[in-house]
Amino acid sequence: MLGGARGAPPAEIECDVAIVGSGAGGGITAELLSAAGLKIVVVEEGPLKSSRDFKQLESEAYPSLYQEVAARKTADKAINIMQGRCVGGSTTVNWTSSFRTPSATLSYWREHFGLSDFSDDALSPWFLRAEQRLSIGPWLAPPNENNDLLRRGALKLGIAAAAIQRNVKGCWNLGSCGMGCPTNAKQSMLVTTIPAALDRGATLLVETRAERFEIQGERIAALHCHAVSPNGAVPDGAARTRIVARHYVLAGGAINSPGLLLRSGAPDPHGLLGTRTFLHPVVASVASFDHRVAGWQGAPQTIYSDHFLDLHAIDGPMGYKLEAPPLHPLLFATAVVGFGRDAAARLTDFANSHALLALLRDGFHAQSPGGRVKLRRDGSPELDYALTEFVMDGARRALLSMAELQFAAGALKVGVGHEQAPLYTRWEEAREGIRALPMQPLLTKVFSAHVMGGCGLAADAGRGVLRPDGVHWQLHNLSVHDGSIFPTSIGANPQLSIYGIVNRLATDLAKRLTGRDVALAAS
Amino acid sequence: MQRRTLLGLGVAGSLAVAALGGGAAWVLRTPAWQLGSLSEAGRAVFRAVARAVLDGSLPQDSGLQARALDAHLERLSVALAALSPSTQAEVEELLSLLITAPGRRLLASLPQPWEDAPTEAVQAALQSMRQSSLTLRRQAYHALRDLTQGAYFADRATWAALGYDGPHPITPS
Repeated sequence: MLGGARGAPPAEIECDVAIVGSGAGGGITAELLSAAGLKIVVVEEGPLKSSRDFKQLESEAYPSLYQEVAARKTADKAINIMQGRCVGGSTTVNWTSSFRTPSATLSYWREHFGLSDFSDDALSPWFLRAEQRLSIGPWLAPPNENNDLLRRGALKLGIAAAAIQRNVKGCWNLGSCGMGCPTNAKQSMLVTTIPAALDRGATLLVETRAERFEIQGERIAALHCHAVSPNGAVPDGAARTRIVARHYVLAGGAINSPGLLLRSGAPDPHGLLGTRTFLHPVVASVASFDHRVAGWQGAPQTIYSDHFLDLHAIDGPMGYKLEAPPLHPLLFATAVVGFGRDAAARLTDFANSHALLALLRDGFHAQSPGGRVKLRRDGSPELDYALTEFVMDGARRALLSMAELQFAAGALKVGVGHEQAPLYTRWEEAREGIRALPMQPLLTKVFSAHVMGGCGLAADAGRGVLRPDGVHWQLHNLSVHDGSIFPTSIGANPQLSIYGIVNRLATDLAKRLTGRDVALAAS
Repeated sequence: MQRRTLLGLGVAGSLAVAALGGGAAWVLRTPAWQLGSLSEAGRAVFRAVARAVLDGSLPQDSGLQARALDAHLERLSVALAALSPSTQAEVEELLSLLITAPGRRLLASLPQPWEDAPTEAVQAALQSMRQSSLTLRRQAYHALRDLTQGAYFADRATWAALGYDGPHPITPS
């Protein structure tokens, strides 16, 4: 392991496969390729932090473990994006929600992108093996009150809600998953695949940015990297490393992966690179109750409802998934709207507050084309994502659904994420109020924790950046193995979609490169 | 200004800068940021914004309030230094405008200098930015408010008022 305080990597490194990124896609790929006996180097821009560093403090976690201090924003600043940037990537800081790719999503990919072997049956063994590897299974402890309010409200309204599977082993039910698991219970890449790859001799470069690929014709000749400071700045005299490999796997996550290809001047004959980047735009509603909720305590996101995803056809009006996120002071203080005494009153209600969020399923309709990754002047990537009327229609319906559910669960007051929404005290008042809100960017609070697309898979080069096996259509020794490969959003929290699909892509890649059959470890 | 356009918004940013006229030259003489941290002028903006945004959350006692604000500005300075270079450049540019009189009037609709403005005046300015039809002014509102809320409530000392008792203690294994 090199980089940062561990010492500068050499100026030139040769290996079989260079992997950019150590998150969900990079981690799974690193375990499988190292199992095939390949000499691999993993390049990670973030630092290595582990359980003893995780103090359950937002003030430490956001600057050290997240992209752009957990305040990465779309170009117009209307959407705040939370994405990991550390060894383990977003898997180190996510909230453990584990869903297989929904059937309706796969069916859309087969029909619109020609991905004929992306079916439930074909992918099932790949999901199963990933689930076994990462201890993904039912969460047997009772939901915390924040999640139980979602269950009770849904029951009152007669809509279906169910339990969310989690990737944990011996979980202490602390609720601090978003700040890094202090007990190593979360089976992130940090404690599973990355250590497995290191045990087999893989090299990990931390605090090292993959700056650009050196492209020669239809192949990548080298990967150029340099050291970065904790805030992503390039220090004076930053150590530089040129990595020469037979094959390259890009797994820097959506936004960053297309960004690296754009910086490298990668061929893009159909103008697709960085386009169709999706976010599951999230709107939220905070309700206060007559009793303590303590939304920071206990496993986050253990109950969900897909009722509003299933109301319409997948290519109809935008559907949304309901979940109950964890509440911590900094997150809560920036998520509630307003300032001064109004905001102070909402904050004083913190312990009795319950929050719902709606993940809007983007990318399945002509009016939901997603965003486009561009480069800023300094070469850093930025997502331009338009909150179209179509998206905002979904956002309004989501605010209505959440407020109705919260009142059904017994809420005294409901504050939806909109700058012009007062605290509502009755459902009828909320319904009239929300119907009249101007659903505009920067008035409606929109977040994202799921960045997908930008290097989509497709059966032909006119519809996607990558072949169905994850190899770049124009660059034959480059694969992309992360959330950027999805042709649409997933319609569910994406970590297991990445694990399962990359499991197949990387197993096949190992076979092509070495002739050997490999599989993820049993657990 | 041979720099990034304000908050990355080419058109609106250029309009704002053009409307400032001679303001841009002023910007260069009065930095909001010096040697990687907030200058006195930059601190004055954030102190006034903190009084307005955190009204109802800050301690009532004037001595305690002054100390809470000093501690808040220190945390904010650290938080700003942790931002990525491109975000730092945007915040710096926003502050550089806000510390000039024309920029303050145009962007924040605040007649008085930040140091002299009563809390109610700064709150009226924030509210006008928040509800503005101009994207640029809404962006500025969110930047000032979110940085302030984030830096203030990151601190343990503010949690008792929220009824939050801090992370659950664990025994290291």
